[in-house]
Amino acid sequence: MDNLSELLHGFSIAVTVPHLVLMAVGVLLGILVGVLPGLGAPNGVSLLLPLTFGMQPVSAIILLSSMYWGALFGGSVTSILFNIPGEPSSVATTFDGYPMARDGRPTTALATAFGSAAFGALVGVILITFLASWVAQVALAFGPAEYFAVYFLAFASFVGMGGAAPIKTVVALAIGFSIAAIGIDTVSGSVRLTMGVDELVKGVSFVVAVMGLFGIGELLVAVEEEFHARAVSSKIDWREVFRAVGRLPRHSVALLRSAAIGCWMGITPGGPTAASFMSYGIARRFSRRGRYFGTGEVEGIISPETADHAAGTSALLPMLSLGIPGSATAAVMMGGLMIWGLNPGPMLFVDQKDFVWGLIASMYVGNIVAVALVLLTVPVFAALMRIPFVVIAPLIVIICVVGAYSVSNSYLDVVMMLGFGVVGYLFKKLFYPLAPLVLAIVIGDKAEDAFRQSMLMSKGSLGIFFANKLVTCLIVAGIALLLLPLVLQLTRLRRKPAAPETSAQEKVII
Amino acid sequence: MISRRALELATAILTGGFGVAVVVQSLDNGIGWSSEGVESGTFPFLTGIIIIAGSLYNLARGIVPAGTLANVPIAITSIELRRLAGLFLPAAIFVAVIPLLGMYVASAVYIFAVLAVPGHQSVLRSAATAAATALALYVVFERMFQVSLPHGALAAALGF
Repeated sequence: MDNLSELLHGFSIAVTVPHLVLMAVGVLLGILVGVLPGLGAPNGVSLLLPLTFGMQPVSAIILLSSMYWGALFGGSVTSILFNIPGEPSSVATTFDGYPMARDGRPTTALATAFGSAAFGALVGVILITFLASWVAQVALAFGPAEYFAVYFLAFASFVGMGGAAPIKTVVALAIGFSIAAIGIDTVSGSVRLTMGVDELVKGVSFVVAVMGLFGIGELLVAVEEEFHARAVSSKIDWREVFRAVGRLPRHSVALLRSAAIGCWMGITPGGPTAASFMSYGIARRFSRRGRYFGTGEVEGIISPETADHAAGTSALLPMLSLGIPGSATAAVMMGGLMIWGLNPGPMLFVDQKDFVWGLIASMYVGNIVAVALVLLTVPVFAALMRIPFVVIAPLIVIICVVGAYSVSNSYLDVVMMLGFGVVGYLFKKLFYPLAPLVLAIVIGDKAEDAFRQSMLMSKGSLGIFFANKLVTCLIVAGIALLLLPLVLQLTRLRRKPAAPETSAQEKVII
Repeated sequence: MISRRALELATAILTGGFGVAVVVQSLDNGIGWSSEGVESGTFPFLTGIIIIAGSLYNLARGIVPAGTLANVPIAITSIELRRLAGLFLPAAIFVAVIPLLGMYVASAVYIFAVLAVPGHQSVLRSAATAAATALALYVVFERMFQVSLPHGALAAALGF
């Protein structure tokens, strides 16, 4: 029951007037970036980062995490009302959300989405409340070898379960690691991979990469299709809101299953996007009304939304207790933690109790604030979508340019950001996953340090990764995950020769 | 028109080229084991090798017309290509002139150009939007957050 008293203490930190105001500001900004195509949660959070440097870490993380919740909700608004996913993770919500709204039930669709999203988030937060400190306690006993094994497992699970083509995921990860290595090597102090450009000694900030990959890249993908913001009515009928939420318990099986999928994908870094697609796919397969999916089925909204938010929330668990972010946005937040001088990982639960429990308590409150605000502001943000894309697009370009420049007042960063934009566009177009790339940039150094420290301890023998049960299990599980796609493909080949291999997300999008 | 296959090949060559650069550079730092432990080039060397190997695989899959690639012959149509260029080229020019014009002037010119030249909005409205953008940038960054954005060579020459 220690956790509960800590949580109560956390509430005393989170529920204060300044923090509630920060939550509201964060959520509103989050909905804004969630609604605008081309700006997403990872960009929004990295744009806000420089503004948090003067704040207390706990206030800063409350602002950033609230923005994350807002963005998750905002992405669903445009998915349902305009058939334009504001966030990659809300693509699956368009399949049934938009048809339902088009059939004259926009309030039902929105309320169902927000209700199940709130449920998913709640399950995620409860999981964090009870598991995070336990995981951190276990992790306190970790040495460098165990840490490397956990990193390895995290990266392997991207390959094995991320839903994208495995080799493309591997390439994305390795590119991220290489980018992380640019600059001064933290162990030996030597300069690496600067390609003859002296300014690269400072390294490549993940913020620059995020601005380009997610900002410019997404903009380029979005500009390809002409936007017809054929809005369905965005008026909210409050009585229908409560009726729709009241009907949710009838779908408790779908809710629980989706929340479980979401939590699993959030903790093992599959991320919210993969979680929502997987949850939608499984719901379609197992629901008795599966063949009506795509025409405005309630469970077709519940499943992706619950999983999306459960994954988004539980992605913070490994970030807090192990220092391994479970999604791209969590990776950006973790970068923030390091800039604020905190060391993400198990020591947070010992040294920074106020920070950790303040954050966890703020997740409960922040999600309630988010649901209330998003319902109240749907008409406002829906009106925003009527601003033509040709006006919004250059503004987003300027935001990304300024954001990249302000990281370290470097013009080179701006040019690199544009380069990352092209890479982001190509990767998105060809279904290379972006989240592992960002993750590897943020924690690449730490993974490498862990590897080199273990090698120092063992005097260069790889045997240290099989020295005790724990580390052996982690490494073996990682290898198994790496081999999983290969095994699946082999069994598929045996059953049905030359079956076309398409990844789950690719299938849905095509 | 750009086919999916061409795009896959181009991307694989791009990532592979990056991998080669990483491998070549990491050799300068030394790879393998020395008295101080794992040498600093080792890790990038390995990731570079992985990038090259993965890119070769993607390249091969791009050449062999199997599975998904055959299903989507066209990745970018010519209309889409024009739209892409319409967004990217002005943005690239905008970034290119920042050192000369500075962030404020460059962004105002950029906004004005992309709105007024293709005729999306009237000249007056475009000018207003452009001025408002530059002013908002100035107020938010220079005043509120004390972040100095580049003023450009032109402003320096004029003595700002």
